[in-house]
Amino acid sequence: MNLVRAELERLSARRFVQLMVVLLVLAFAVTAATTMAGSHKPTAGELNSARAQAAEARRDLEATHQECLNRQNGTLPADTDKYFPSDCSEVDPIRQERLPIPADFLPGVFTFAEQARPLLYFLIAFLVLFGFLVGASYIGADLTSGGVVNLLLWRPRRMTVLAAKLGTLLGTVLVLALLASVAYLATFWVIGQTAGLPGRLDGEFWRSLGAVHGRGLVLVLLSSALGFAIATLGRHTSAALGALAAYAVVWELGGRLVLEIVDAPKSDLFMVSSHIGAWLNGGARFYDEQLCRGSIDGPYCEGFYTVTWAPALLVLLAITGGLTAAAFAMFRRRDLI
Amino acid sequence: MSAVIEIEGLRKTFHSMRSGRRVAVDGFDLLVEEGQVHGFLGPNGSGKTTTLRALLGLVRADSGRMTVLGEPSPELLTRVAGQVGAIVESPQFFGNFTGYRTLRLLARAGGVPVSRVDEVLELVGLHDRGDDRVRGYSLGMKQRLAVASALLKDPRLLILDEPANGLDPAGIREMRDLMRSLAASGVTVLVSSHILGEIQLICDHVTIISRGRRVATGRVDEVLAGHDRHEFLVRVAEPERAVELLHAAELTAVVDGGALVVGGVSDPTVVSRVLGEQGLWVGELTPLRPDLESVFLELTGAYEHPSVPRQVDDSSLPQGETVIDLDRGVDA
Ligand SMILES: Nc1ncnc2c1ncn2[C@@H]1O[C@H](COP(=O)(O)OP(=O)(O)OP(=O)(O)O)[C@@H](O)[C@H]1O
Ligand SMILES: [Mg+2]
Repeated sequence: MNLVRAELERLSARRFVQLMVVLLVLAFAVTAATTMAGSHKPTAGELNSARAQAAEARRDLEATHQECLNRQNGTLPADTDKYFPSDCSEVDPIRQERLPIPADFLPGVFTFAEQARPLLYFLIAFLVLFGFLVGASYIGADLTSGGVVNLLLWRPRRMTVLAAKLGTLLGTVLVLALLASVAYLATFWVIGQTAGLPGRLDGEFWRSLGAVHGRGLVLVLLSSALGFAIATLGRHTSAALGALAAYAVVWELGGRLVLEIVDAPKSDLFMVSSHIGAWLNGGARFYDEQLCRGSIDGPYCEGFYTVTWAPALLVLLAITGGLTAAAFAMFRRRDLI
Repeated sequence: MSAVIEIEGLRKTFHSMRSGRRVAVDGFDLLVEEGQVHGFLGPNGSGKTTTLRALLGLVRADSGRMTVLGEPSPELLTRVAGQVGAIVESPQFFGNFTGYRTLRLLARAGGVPVSRVDEVLELVGLHDRGDDRVRGYSLGMKQRLAVASALLKDPRLLILDEPANGLDPAGIREMRDLMRSLAASGVTVLVSSHILGEIQLICDHVTIISRGRRVATGRVDEVLAGHDRHEFLVRVAEPERAVELLHAAELTAVVDGGALVVGGVSDPTVVSRVLGEQGLWVGELTPLRPDLESVFLELTGAYEHPSVPRQVDDSSLPQGETVIDLDRGVDA
């Protein structure tokens, strides 16, 4: 416990951590301020016209679908230059992911229900990077500066010392991420209430936002542990940064190209980024034309396959867990100079 | 008297891609008993720091048996860690923290009452600068902070690797007084240093290491006595004639400057009698006792060719070993 308290003090005193927090607050303030400045509460007239426009857009969809069906049934000649898909269900309004709503026709009005999700994604991306960098620099700087050696002279238990560091890091990052995301969403909610539109904030909305939030926090923790583990393995902060950059360039870009050239099946499965996306969104669809090759289903083969969140999480956990275990095993035996 | 530190047959080899294998410690033995102030001497690169690191569990020894305060190290070092204060090579501290905060943090991590921080800052003379950032400390101040961190636990055993590094003359003297008072209060001290005069003043025991092996150990006065050549400095009016007379008395004698160095003297009255009987009156008769420095240089072979810059790995191995050193030729 004392060890964790001491670590907490060290972590919070790190210039880099302070800088990242300032950056977070800054990015936050800038997005909030620009959103606020670019949004206004719609007048009754604006609202009415938006409602009308949305209703009309929905009617248009309806009409297009009907026209498509009629054409297929042969009740209408097929010689107009208007394009219709061969399968009319594609334009069936009921099967659309979302239908036009009044908020789509209110330029310059911030609608919380519409914007909350992308805003949260942005925050999570920032926090994932934050966690990775802080995790890496926290242990990296301590290893290079001899802080770990000093501590080990005091408490010659390597596993305890390293675990206390990792635990402190994860706890701090989690609390920070929680505070930041709650403050962030609350601010934009207030902006929606006062200088824009709240939108449809029903139980379904909050449930789905909460799910993204929770999964995002898990991702933030995983990336912090990953940065910590790689920096420990490489004895240096830059090891983690280098590994990250090398992975992105060599594997996500180069490897992807090679996999495409050799026609590897379902190549997206080999990319960590796919699993991150699948985990965060609760699932992801990827395209592989090979799935249709040789299939006699003809036009009905879409060539998509799905990665659900559970195996995606498993992959992410395995990578992080494996590297963390390796870092601990190595730290146990290594010469600390 | 019980052993506080025991090292037997410690070996440590470093492997690196660039220079391959490097044997840093090669079957080294060390015994420090309770209450000793034990000097740990050796040329640069002889393996002192590596030995201390291995003892404190910072590097993994290849082989050898070590105990600290009776517990096998590094396996059960945690049992006694609360009683061992150590600095190994100038420790680095977090520059952003003040000296006080640095120590408070360590005190917390080690479960020492925070009130102790002020005491040790006072003890090492940093009390007035405790609230400055470590980044702004001078070399000697950082060293004092390091010593303070070692003292924080009120240790039974204090291990100091070159504590005088960077200290000013007053600081060195304060360090000496500090070590003496610690020793007087029963703390066992193992201290490595290159300031041999200092070691001679404060240590009662000494171990000398050269190229990873022990070349001498024991009480300081015994180690010195073992290298006493029984030489005397003699001043007389006619040195040349005195040399002849002394040679006739089967003593060695050479003229050195205006004086004589007479060797093989078991009883100095012989010298004054031999010379006095021939009318040569002795003006000065001073025993030339070896000091730690001369013994150290002799044992470690560190000063054989004053005109040739000595390389760090040129030190001697323990006597009795046949060393064939191609680089040095036949005169080695
Ligand atoms: N991390 C390392 N990697 C490779 N070789 C090392 C390492 N640490 C020490 N050595 C080698 O081990 C030998 C002993 O070094 P050590 O630091 O123990 O010497 P020392 O007696 O403390 O010297 P000094 O008086 O200069 O402090 C040296 O030859 C050194 O080059
Ligand atoms: Mg050293």
